[in-house]
Amino acid sequence: MFLRGGCRRLPLLPAPRPGHRRAGSEAGAAAAPRYEVVVIGGGHAGTEAAAAAARGGACTLLLTHRIGTIGEMSCNPSFGGIGKGHLMREVDALDGLCGRLCDRSGVHYKVLNRCKGPAVWGLRAQIDRGLYKENMQKEILNTPLLTVREASVEDLLLKEPEPGRPGKCQVAGVVLGDGSTVRAGSVILTTGTFLRGMIYIGLEMHPAGRLGDQPAIGLAHTLEKLGFAVGRLKTGTPPRLAKDTIDFGGLEERAADNPPVPFSFLSEAVWIKPEDQLSCYLTRTNLKAQQIIRNNLHLNNHIRETTRGPRYCPSLESKVLRFPDREHQVWLEPEGLDSNIIYPQGMSMTLPPELQEQVVKSIPGLEKAKMLQPGYGVQYDFLDPRQLTTSLESRLVQRLFFAGQINGTTGYEEAAAQGVIAGINACLRVQGRPPFTVSRTEGYVGVLIDDLTTLGTTEPYRMFTSRVEFRMALRPDNADARLTHRGFEEAGCVSQQRYEQAVKMRAALEDGIATLKSIQFSISKWSQLLPGVPISNSRRSPVSAFEVLQYQDANMEILAKAIPEPLGKLAQWRELAERLKIEAAYEWCVVNQQQEMEEVRRDEALQLPDDLDYFAIDASLSAEVREKLAANRPQTIGAVSRIPGITPAAIVNLLRFVKTNHQKTEKLKAVPQSGKYFPGKMYSDKATSQRQISAEFSEEEARFVKTPL
Amino acid sequence: MAEPGDLGLPGEGVRGEGSHLWRGPTWQVPPEASTHLCGCGTAGGTGDTIFALSSAPGRCGVAVIRASGPGSAGLLRSLTGTPGPPPPRVLALRRIRDPRSAETLDRGLVVWFPGPNSFTGEDCAELHVHGGPAVVSGVLQALGRLPGLRPAEPGEFTRRAFAHGKLDLTAAEGLRDLIAAETEAQRRQALRQMEGDLGRLYQRWSHALTQALAHLEAYIDFSEDDNVEEEVLARVAVTVRALLQEIRGHLRDGRRGELLRGGVRAVIAGPPNVGKSSLLNLLCRRPAAIVSPSAGTTRDVLEVALDIGGYPLLLSDTAGLRRAADPVEREGVRRARERLCQADLVLAVLDATSVSPTPAALGAALAALEPPPGTPCVLVLNKADLLGGPRGATPAQGPPATLLSCKTGEGLEALLELLAQQLAQLCGDPLSGWPSLTQSRHSRHLGACAAALGRFGDLGDSGDLALAAEQLRLARRELGRITGHVGAEDVLDIIFRDFCVGK
Repeated sequence: MFLRGGCRRLPLLPAPRPGHRRAGSEAGAAAAPRYEVVVIGGGHAGTEAAAAAARGGACTLLLTHRIGTIGEMSCNPSFGGIGKGHLMREVDALDGLCGRLCDRSGVHYKVLNRCKGPAVWGLRAQIDRGLYKENMQKEILNTPLLTVREASVEDLLLKEPEPGRPGKCQVAGVVLGDGSTVRAGSVILTTGTFLRGMIYIGLEMHPAGRLGDQPAIGLAHTLEKLGFAVGRLKTGTPPRLAKDTIDFGGLEERAADNPPVPFSFLSEAVWIKPEDQLSCYLTRTNLKAQQIIRNNLHLNNHIRETTRGPRYCPSLESKVLRFPDREHQVWLEPEGLDSNIIYPQGMSMTLPPELQEQVVKSIPGLEKAKMLQPGYGVQYDFLDPRQLTTSLESRLVQRLFFAGQINGTTGYEEAAAQGVIAGINACLRVQGRPPFTVSRTEGYVGVLIDDLTTLGTTEPYRMFTSRVEFRMALRPDNADARLTHRGFEEAGCVSQQRYEQAVKMRAALEDGIATLKSIQFSISKWSQLLPGVPISNSRRSPVSAFEVLQYQDANMEILAKAIPEPLGKLAQWRELAERLKIEAAYEWCVVNQQQEMEEVRRDEALQLPDDLDYFAIDASLSAEVREKLAANRPQTIGAVSRIPGITPAAIVNLLRFVKTNHQKTEKLKAVPQSGKYFPGKMYSDKATSQRQISAEFSEEEARFVKTPL
Repeated sequence: MAEPGDLGLPGEGVRGEGSHLWRGPTWQVPPEASTHLCGCGTAGGTGDTIFALSSAPGRCGVAVIRASGPGSAGLLRSLTGTPGPPPPRVLALRRIRDPRSAETLDRGLVVWFPGPNSFTGEDCAELHVHGGPAVVSGVLQALGRLPGLRPAEPGEFTRRAFAHGKLDLTAAEGLRDLIAAETEAQRRQALRQMEGDLGRLYQRWSHALTQALAHLEAYIDFSEDDNVEEEVLARVAVTVRALLQEIRGHLRDGRRGELLRGGVRAVIAGPPNVGKSSLLNLLCRRPAAIVSPSAGTTRDVLEVALDIGGYPLLLSDTAGLRRAADPVEREGVRRARERLCQADLVLAVLDATSVSPTPAALGAALAALEPPPGTPCVLVLNKADLLGGPRGATPAQGPPATLLSCKTGEGLEALLELLAQQLAQLCGDPLSGWPSLTQSRHSRHLGACAAALGRFGDLGDSGDLALAAEQLRLARRELGRITGHVGAEDVLDIIFRDFCVGK
């Protein structure tokens, strides 16, 4: 399906059998198999990473405890949402899997924030768990160049570091549970909550990554030995209920969209008939639930533990403790078309099961509900993501990448987005090509990774649109225009078909905008043409059709009726017409943000040397600033400026130091513009960005990076 | 500035058909307004044009104002009224005018450095003007009104120099001061202003705005799945409206800047024949007013413009205040009283030989002139040459007073110093040294903040909430340039503190 050039194999290595699933531990130590990229973990990050590496042309091995759990949705039966839907569109724009698979597995599609503006539309769907898993496994097991194998990973094979780069060693492969080894060009760790995962139900706790699955303990030791800074986070999942024991009669119903909006730019429509979609139902907790929880806090280890949970409320317990005496929403979500399981979103609990059952029965509609599985809490290790570069490679161990929940994030979409970026970069690393990073000005995934690698996190990091500075420009509708071209040209991870489709759409948009701008009439003429669109008299005449399209009552259809030639054909292409309307509405804001986006890009182009010892350098920096710089290890001046407490003076002094001290070995070179497309470009020919001069610093005296512990 | 009235407001019209609830924004912005919104300049080019006072803050002989960016040539044209910039890197003497009023601000030297051979690597311009606060403030404000120009942020010149590979120049010792002036001094100055009432006011606005933004963001990010009620929007709208009113009021109250631009109106008042016209002539160093030994010589109001210690002064000589029988003189006295009521500063002239130098006597004599309440007064005890014998010191209490002889010129220095002090107090906080520098930045950012809040109000609650939130973000960013940056995490802190959200 994504077949491209032959497998770029490293020399002197036995050829794996691409596309063929290996079983068990056939490989002996003598002839350890070798892959260009090895991915550990078959969750949402792992599958995307493996598929992206394979799409990029790397012979890839995916290692998982159980092939049967690939594509498992461990928590909620839904994908997308506000901010998360944006990430899925970006994953899709890079030819990732989850968007397309959700278009084939959903049972209830709904665009959230419909009336709040297209920049914050949240594409979301309830997914049939079984179907998604089935579709994902079909996809993964049939991806060319991708091999899947069941095995546990106990250790990493390490060798001398590549000179000229930071890192105290280099990963060369993995050691499996049976003692055999697999050699690798790059390794991606996507072990989710499985690193020393511990499950909590009431006072009971037992080691597991997910109920019924073993945690990864050997790997945790290895990472610790290597000096990685590790933190601990907690999360939880609600109990599951039997659908046929719930009385939906008095509950508020939320119907799905008709027609449903697909996630993928490639999908014309979703698989399910609109009328066959299932509904969700809303109920609310009352004071009885609060009483049960309050009276039994002593039976709740997870809540009492001091491990940092999020500031937001992941569990019903924390909701009633922090916002007492009010109702809390519980959404009853279907788990699949034929499933009898209901997922009560908003009811994550860690009370002992019998008490959970009492809480459930205290809620309207659930009085007779049968609990199929209790809710539980999970505590797990995560790696301080400040130890990673923006390509998600670790600074400590060369060619070792991390993606997903292991980096401190929460959510399938956050995991998938990191997976794609890690997969692409692991592949590019093996091919000796420059890393592929997404700027904060280009995508939500850029914001996600920049936040993680610059600021780290103290709670499970979740994507919100409020984290994104350029929200007006980074919209779900234009993710393809932002990322597909780069993905094709720089990362090689995008299929020809998708690329051509994106090129066509971009050209059509640019033509459409130009056409609309070229049609200009006086205000009185417009009033005659479009009596239903009141155009402000204070505008300067003449007014272009593009400006008219900004008005809330205007759309392409109305315009085409008034001016059939040449607008008729633009309005006929429904998707184009909708996108033109959105482009018109946001033009003003996006154009106004150009300046600021340029500034961010400029700062992102100013690279800092990886080997700076911030405590030792002779620059006028306060001890506090030095500490912050050492802890966060910013890669660029742009990242420095986002670390709280860093003053403009400190930034200037740091620049001075770096510049004067690396003068001799420094080459000034023009960094290629990271974004071939950036939003707003199509509005103004003059807005072409200048080539940024950046200092690339010699790494002649590469030292080991200090690990912040 | 884009006033909300400029913005076309399509009313509630027919709803779009189909299932699309979203109907696009309810407001439009004229293209010409857009350049003012982010303080950003002409579209395209390498960025907007920044300017700042580059010489050390404080009164000095010559002040250097520097600009960098694509608008540098344009600003030289606008301010000097010449068709093109002078030859590169050559000092040229030019009359510098306010492009809006065509009023001459100063005669000074201008230099044109076309990029890339300039400090920042961009087109640069320098204006070397006389170092009085009025001149510098006038030029800075004129620059700020040019489209595409904005005051530089701390360290911005240096950042630009770095971006263009020019930073090695800063290794040269002399430029270190410049960086300090751009960063530390501005920061210290901003801090000084941030302490005290003004600082508390800005902080309060900052908190209110951040909270409003956080609540709106919560409504966008969480309302569909969580308990973020609709009332949140109404509360945000109320907060923003109140904030907008306050900021607009504050901007209108910029009396100090106005005094500096328009000049302080000082009125010479006093009984007849105490030497008021002589004082005017002495101060303007020419016989502008007719003086004679007869009381009641001056009938009309005579006005001259003066520069005292760098501050602009509009000095009026008025008729001696007495009950006059002559109808022309009576009209003169009426005009004198009228002028006195409008005064920013009163120079009360008394005959030193006819009033005893005690606070009580001086106070009584001043009160007899009925100066407008609250207006600062300076007592000038003229005819000191006639006192004979040892000079009694002027009392320390009561209004500031000084002895003067218009005849011999004795005491003029002391009077000028006293006047300069009074003017400094009127025109700006003397402690902050250079009020216009930060104030012009502040008022610009506050103006942009208010404009964004105004657009937010126009959006109402029916349009595109993301666009509305963008206006609050813009307003927050502008205010943040004064009070400090507020990041996404701070917004999230408020969201999670105020709402029960998450799953």
